[in-house]
Amino acid sequence: MSLFGFGARQPTSAEKIASVENELKVIAEMHTRMVKICSLKCIDKTYREGELSKGEAVCLDRCSAKFFEAHSKISDQLQQQTAAQGGGGFGGM
Amino acid sequence: MDITAGLTQAEQRELEQRLNKRQVKEFMNLFGNLVDNCFTACVDDFTSKALSGRENGCISRCVLKSMTTQTRLSERFAELNQAMTNELQNKK
Repeated sequence: MSLFGFGARQPTSAEKIASVENELKVIAEMHTRMVKICSLKCIDKTYREGELSKGEAVCLDRCSAKFFEAHSKISDQLQQQTAAQGGGGFGGM
Repeated sequence: MDITAGLTQAEQRELEQRLNKRQVKEFMNLFGNLVDNCFTACVDDFTSKALSGRENGCISRCVLKSMTTQTRLSERFAELNQAMTNELQNKK
């Protein structure tokens, strides 16, 4: 996958490791954000019960699906807009 | 699709070490957020310096529910991430 264009020379060991680590970091951060936001939107804050209710569980499933869809949509639109403005853009998130 | 495919054995080991360190850090973050969250949601009675029975119960339920939520969302995330990756692969 992407090594963010190191150019003609070979990437060093450190650069290769850092590149993969970064990619995983981006994914991990997205995961953290999703958990935070969907918990906020779906979980009853009075904690009357320790178990997830059926409603909450379904809400979480749908929230995560929508989160990903929104992510993709925004990524596409941002790319289009920056390309239209004559910029380079990120080239696929 | 394995993003570690371009790495040698030694590089993969180094990466693994870094990821382990990162995981520990993330767990500490998770723990901290849990405390902040459950304390804020459950504790509001300062007529005593000991947690009341009600507050104790609330905190237990809060922790249980938070961990269950985390687990469920992690499963969904893995599925959705895989699907998204596949879609991106197919587009190319």
